[in-house]
Amino acid sequence: MPNHGPENLSNRNRTAEAFTLTSAFWFAAATSFGLIAAGYLIAPDFMANIEYIHFGRIRPMHVNAVLFGFVTPGLLAAAFYYVPRLLRTRLFSQRLGVFNAVFWNITIAYGMIAISTGHTQAREYAEFPWVVDIMVVVCFVLAVFNILMTVRRRKEPILYVSIWYVCAAVILTSITYCLGNVIWKPDTGALQGIPDAIILWFYGHNIFGLLLTPLALGLAYYVLPIATRSPLYSHTLSLLGFWSLIVVYTHIGAHHLLQVPVPTWLKTISVVDSVAMVIPVMVFLINIWYTVKGKLGEIHSDIGAKFVFTGTIYYFFVNIQGSMMALPYVQRITHFNNWVVGHAHIGVLGFAGLLALGGLYYILPKLTGRPLHSRFLADMQYWLVLIGITGFAIDLTTVGLIQGNAWYNGETVYRILPEIHPYYVLRASLGVLIVIGAYTGLYNVIRTLYFNRGAKS
Amino acid sequence: MKMTPTVIIVGILSLLTAITLVVIYWPYTHRVTAPSEIFRNRSPEEEAGRKIYLANGCVYCHSQSIRAFDWGHGAERIAQAGDYLGDEPIVLGSERTGVDLSQEGGEHPDDWHVAHFMNPRNTRPSSIMPPFEWLGMERLTTLTRYIQSLGLKNADDRMQRQRFFKQHAVRAFEAGPVENVRWLASEIPEGWHQIPNPYPTSEASLQRGHKIYQFFCIGCHGPIGDGMGPAQPWIYPPPLNFTLLKGRKLSGGILYYQIMNGITGTAMPYFKRELESQKIWEVGNYVAVYFINQSDANQEPRGIDSSWEPGFNLKQKSADD
Ligand code: HEC
Ligand code: HEC
Ligand code: HEM
Repeated sequence: MPNHGPENLSNRNRTAEAFTLTSAFWFAAATSFGLIAAGYLIAPDFMANIEYIHFGRIRPMHVNAVLFGFVTPGLLAAAFYYVPRLLRTRLFSQRLGVFNAVFWNITIAYGMIAISTGHTQAREYAEFPWVVDIMVVVCFVLAVFNILMTVRRRKEPILYVSIWYVCAAVILTSITYCLGNVIWKPDTGALQGIPDAIILWFYGHNIFGLLLTPLALGLAYYVLPIATRSPLYSHTLSLLGFWSLIVVYTHIGAHHLLQVPVPTWLKTISVVDSVAMVIPVMVFLINIWYTVKGKLGEIHSDIGAKFVFTGTIYYFFVNIQGSMMALPYVQRITHFNNWVVGHAHIGVLGFAGLLALGGLYYILPKLTGRPLHSRFLADMQYWLVLIGITGFAIDLTTVGLIQGNAWYNGETVYRILPEIHPYYVLRASLGVLIVIGAYTGLYNVIRTLYFNRGAKS
Repeated sequence: MKMTPTVIIVGILSLLTAITLVVIYWPYTHRVTAPSEIFRNRSPEEEAGRKIYLANGCVYCHSQSIRAFDWGHGAERIAQAGDYLGDEPIVLGSERTGVDLSQEGGEHPDDWHVAHFMNPRNTRPSSIMPPFEWLGMERLTTLTRYIQSLGLKNADDRMQRQRFFKQHAVRAFEAGPVENVRWLASEIPEGWHQIPNPYPTSEASLQRGHKIYQFFCIGCHGPIGDGMGPAQPWIYPPPLNFTLLKGRKLSGGILYYQIMNGITGTAMPYFKRELESQKIWEVGNYVAVYFINQSDANQEPRGIDSSWEPGFNLKQKSADD
């Protein structure tokens, strides 16, 4: 069970606060971008011919803002809170941490402007141009430094599993980000031909596998045992889960390229070990679900834990689904269509996003020493996002099956556009729920952090 | 196992290094360097067009990767590693909101693309692709050069065919409607000229034809079939004005053939991938009945009536024989 460090209220954790605000802000911005994109798929001539936000620009803005603006900072906010606590020390440098958060926002904003003005490298998840890439790497390196220095100053000899995950996430992402963005080639940020696809998807996959997932698991390992006042079920499983995640997740990126002329052995490895992903996944889930067994009441009463626990259920779904999608026969139907978009949302919003939100709500009262501005609004956001993402999962999977089966049987893309139109409408409507949830959250976070003097929960 | 900072850092870094060597470095050093049989380098203008493609997120809707089990655009040839040697970055794409563009070069003539980029609904009424009018004519022309190079040497062959027939089409169009209609028909294999539409006109079939027309044809040929659809300003020779066809002995077979096969060199696309036989006959007959005002539907020779056709008079049939 994690140790409780000494409470030190006079010394506010500005770093965690700044990352919390960052995450809440970009959640609202990113989902707004997403809603615009969804709108374009329904009515392409509405707001048409606006260079800076047409579909081909707003979509990568949405994706990058979600990954690097909302989810990563959200999970880091919690990490900057729990890492010092688990180590019974203070964060190495609050000043560095706050600078890190400010610089993070500058980086993402710059990246958004770059994509929006057409300065993109046109590689998924690696769109940011070189200058922004460097800034992103600086952000990660600053986080690595701050965290490792905190580890060095620790008063707690034992490193809890959350610490392992946080260290792995920031250290490895600093490296894979450079590799994936081919940072040694500033003008294109790409290799030539098929090797470019291989390195891109090695990286793209590791954004989920070596950044979002470990940060999210670290958070779950922290929040759920404390919220349920239960000791962690098994240390051995933590170990197994951690090392198997690093080994397996890292080398299966080629499952994004199963239908492309890359070497067969690479595909074979990626298919086999995509199935082997059930090991790290189930090990984690068994560990955490056994920890909270019989304690759903406690989880229910803590809004942070509620988000986190729900996220772990989505973690189960996204991985089972992912392992299936990596099977070549399944992928004949699911590749290239909205099925994958559904999977991406289940993973990034349903799993990592819900955990990030849970982290924010869990730490906010502890950061401010006061209850949340409004538990009602937080609950409302929970339901809005949960209904939204569950609806997305059903809707996009259905569209994907329609598209995939139609194409596989010789229907053309154009012929089924009218057929999938209603699903796009439903998707945008569900998006509205998520956007409202995001703005609700932003409001609640701001009120809790800055205008909450004496408010009751 | 005791997890110290050293164990964690050294452990994860060694794993990442080993894995990177196997799944990145090894494939890189053993990459395909031999060009495929269709490979050629792109011209500077095509390269410039590619930059526009990259900057505008075409890759989020269009793949460039043909698979063994594809049917659509470019499915005649499965992608090979040697096709991509000049691509930096490679733009395989991960979603097909639109079609695969691997072999798009020469699929249509340039004027079709310009009309389409101006607003995709011009040529494809139900498209959800964004309009790119804001790029302006100059950049659209450059972008079109890139699109017409997709498929490389295969695209060059197709472009040659487009240009060859474009010359003929323009010459015929400029020689006036009579000559144009004659030329259009003259390229069609003789047998099709003699074939009337074998199926009877019915209210239901006209309604279906109308639906197909709205969905596929209206952008060019226009709501009243006079060739003044929204795509018209960009297309040359312009979309055919069907009302000119009255009294020119256009059989149902000719209409069928033109719709099925398209008219290479003009913006008139082929529809054999998108429309099954029944749909082609019915949209052809819709055009004949409403715009040409002259239909040969169900005239002799029409073979044995299909089993679904209404009305059969056994006595009449025996008397005929
Ligand atoms: C929102 C997704 C979307 C984006 C972004 C997009 N397209 Fe399309 N595109 C489509 C769809 C859907 C079709 C099929 C319907 C049609 O022909 O318009 C299509 C069709 C096409 C076609 C015609 C294919 C054919 O022969 O029928 C070309 C060429 C094309 N797109 C090029 C581009 C280029 C170049 C860009 C970037 C400047 C682009 N598209 C951006 C969705 C998109
Ligand atoms: C992108 C524009 C475009 C679209 C879409 C289009 N057409 Fe055409 N069509 C043309 C052009 C251009 C010509 C030839 C003009 C010329 O050479 O004079 C033509 C010619 C024809 C002809 C030839 C008649 C003859 O005398 O040989 C027929 C029939 C025809 N179109 C029917 C259709 C039908 C039916 C559809 C819808 C299924 C359709 N077209 C869609 C542009 C288009
Ligand atoms: C067992 C674990 C997982 C496996 C085996 C897996 C497998 C896959 C596969 C095979 C694809 C490619 C689909 C295709 O293009 O046809 C894919 C795409 C994707 N996955 Fe997963 N997945 C897993 C977990 C996750 C998680 C946890 C996340 C998010 C945190 C995630 C996010 C995504 C995203 C965003 C894409 C879309 C990539 C794109 O843009 O094409 N996945 N996954």
